[in-house]
Amino acid sequence: MLVNLLASGLANGSVYALVALGLIVIYRATTVINFAHGEGFMLAGFLAWTLYVGLGLSYGSALVGAIAMAALVGIATERLAFRPLIRGSVVSLVLATTGLAFLLRGVARYLWGGKGSDVPFPPVFTVQAVRVGDLVVSSQHLIVVGGAVATMLVFAALFRCTRLGRMMRATAENQRAAALVGIRVERISSLTWGVGVALAGVAAVLAAPLTLLYPDMGGPLLIRAFAAALLGGLGSLGGAVVGGFSLGIVEQLTAGYVDSSLADVAPFLLIIVVLLLRPRGLFGRRVVVKM
Amino acid sequence: MIQPRSTTTALALAVLLLVGGLAPAMAAEPGLTSDSIKIGFFGPRTGRVYMYGELAMNGADLVYQQVNARGGIHGRKIVTVREDDECKNEGGIAAVKKLIHQHQVFMINGGGCSNPALAARDEVEANKVPMVVLDAVADGVSKGATWIFQPGPTASVESAAQVDFAKGQGAKKVAVVWQNDAWGKSRFEPLMDKLRKEGITPVAVEEMTGEQNDATAVVLKVQKAGADAVIDVLYPKPSVVFMRDAVKFGYKPLYIGQTALTDLVDLQKQVAIPGALDRFYSISQVKVGIDDPDMESWRQAMTKQFPSDRLSIYTMFGIASAKVVVAALEKAGPNLSRAKLQETLSTLCNVDTGIYPAPVCFKPDDHGGSKTVAWIYLGKDGKIEFVRK
Repeated sequence: MLVNLLASGLANGSVYALVALGLIVIYRATTVINFAHGEGFMLAGFLAWTLYVGLGLSYGSALVGAIAMAALVGIATERLAFRPLIRGSVVSLVLATTGLAFLLRGVARYLWGGKGSDVPFPPVFTVQAVRVGDLVVSSQHLIVVGGAVATMLVFAALFRCTRLGRMMRATAENQRAAALVGIRVERISSLTWGVGVALAGVAAVLAAPLTLLYPDMGGPLLIRAFAAALLGGLGSLGGAVVGGFSLGIVEQLTAGYVDSSLADVAPFLLIIVVLLLRPRGLFGRRVVVKM
Repeated sequence: MIQPRSTTTALALAVLLLVGGLAPAMAAEPGLTSDSIKIGFFGPRTGRVYMYGELAMNGADLVYQQVNARGGIHGRKIVTVREDDECKNEGGIAAVKKLIHQHQVFMINGGGCSNPALAARDEVEANKVPMVVLDAVADGVSKGATWIFQPGPTASVESAAQVDFAKGQGAKKVAVVWQNDAWGKSRFEPLMDKLRKEGITPVAVEEMTGEQNDATAVVLKVQKAGADAVIDVLYPKPSVVFMRDAVKFGYKPLYIGQTALTDLVDLQKQVAIPGALDRFYSISQVKVGIDDPDMESWRQAMTKQFPSDRLSIYTMFGIASAKVVVAALEKAGPNLSRAKLQETLSTLCNVDTGIYPAPVCFKPDDHGGSKTVAWIYLGKDGKIEFVRK
């Protein structure tokens, strides 16, 4: 049972990790939590469904199309709900992204939901589950974990090794200094939002065949992604990834070995414990402000 | 000349006062006139479970339109008004308040989701408005109530039926997988009571949430316990997740569902694994399928009145419930009042709707009208079939 619980925890955790990673990319650039991030995940799932089931495109095309659309949603969020309020209070920014979340949910209800049961995303691969000893893993779970890890590696390479990544890091570190060295801060900010929501989009398209799509699915996922980010240390990209995987595994082990009724509660208990012992999270750094 | 005019004016005033004074007495029953009865619907008209509200209301409206076409009930035509509770508790209270105080309905034919119907119960009782439930199943909606009646099988009836079905199928080890919310609890408690009464100790009792996307742990525990039958007290989404994971681990128990899992065609579409529902049986509040020849007139009426909708099992919930309302209004007679309707409903019996599994019978101390359920499964041709004894 242990290996299966771990495998399942890794699959779920990889989804939490990707969504948390996107959340933190935006947070580092803006110091604002994007409360519409879960809705980016939800929209990408529905867009993938529209492309794959509705228009009959291949899963790969649906994946690329939905991720591109998710990136556009991120860029639009920055233009509509962030940039006009950039000089406002944090409360205004939080309210703006929260309002946008409701708006996107409403749009999704109008287009895909609100009239009946959840939308099923058909399994992409019909091959039997892979069995190795006691371990049973479905091909879709393997794709989720493999796809998520590959995406994280690509993102790490983009963030560390490319000019765009360096500009994103510089902008996140100090916008004024970045502007002084010629970085077009507003454009980089838009791209950062696009990349952040696109990461949630990847998670959605990978996970869609494992779950059912419905307009309110973003909210519960945002809470988990936020919890993963907190666990890893708010602001730490690596921490968000470790936090996501840890959350997924803790959920499964609790349900399997303690009580299924505690599966939802256990990760949050863990976060409380971690934050009590280490308030900055597992990988969070102390911020020293020099006067 | 002035005196006679004053007398005439005084007389006219007296008549006006008399009529004015009498008018409120005649219209003392809100929503009731000499030629109309206003009935209020509430339930989810939008959202994931809109079928239990909007579609059931469409079905009930078909019955009322048919009654109106015949001249109404004792000369009164039925007028309906709809309110959306979005399947939320606060929505239920708001909808009922609006129906009673704003729309001034005579009675209510509503309640599609159990939780908002439970939340609205006190408002209905306090205002002494007769209410016949559309399709909400929690016993608490009508249990101990004076003014509320549930014509369809309630949760406790369903739970008992699930246990009897497991026994009837020769299940040796029974597991219970239930949804840990108010809806699930309203079924889980009577289910456990019935299991205790039958001397059955479940080999596993596991919980899931309505939003759960993974059931690995639950499936593995139930499988490890060796359960050959799973009593499913879940909404469609967690049921789908459970069944998908069960298939993954090669676990094929006998599934025993309930009325939240009535639309087996849709359930199969969501599970999306051929054969996943081969051993799935569920309870139906109705004894006939939508393709049954007896339903032809309703199919035609649907096409005419609601061209964008089609006859579904949810429409039939509404038709059955409205038939009970019509039977009660007819029996209550022309001198109708809310109190009289309540009194009539309290002893209304042997109402054969042709849809509920057995005739509806209310008692003064038991407002649950149906004690029998029907069982369904997905046939080889992908259509819902009824289990014939």
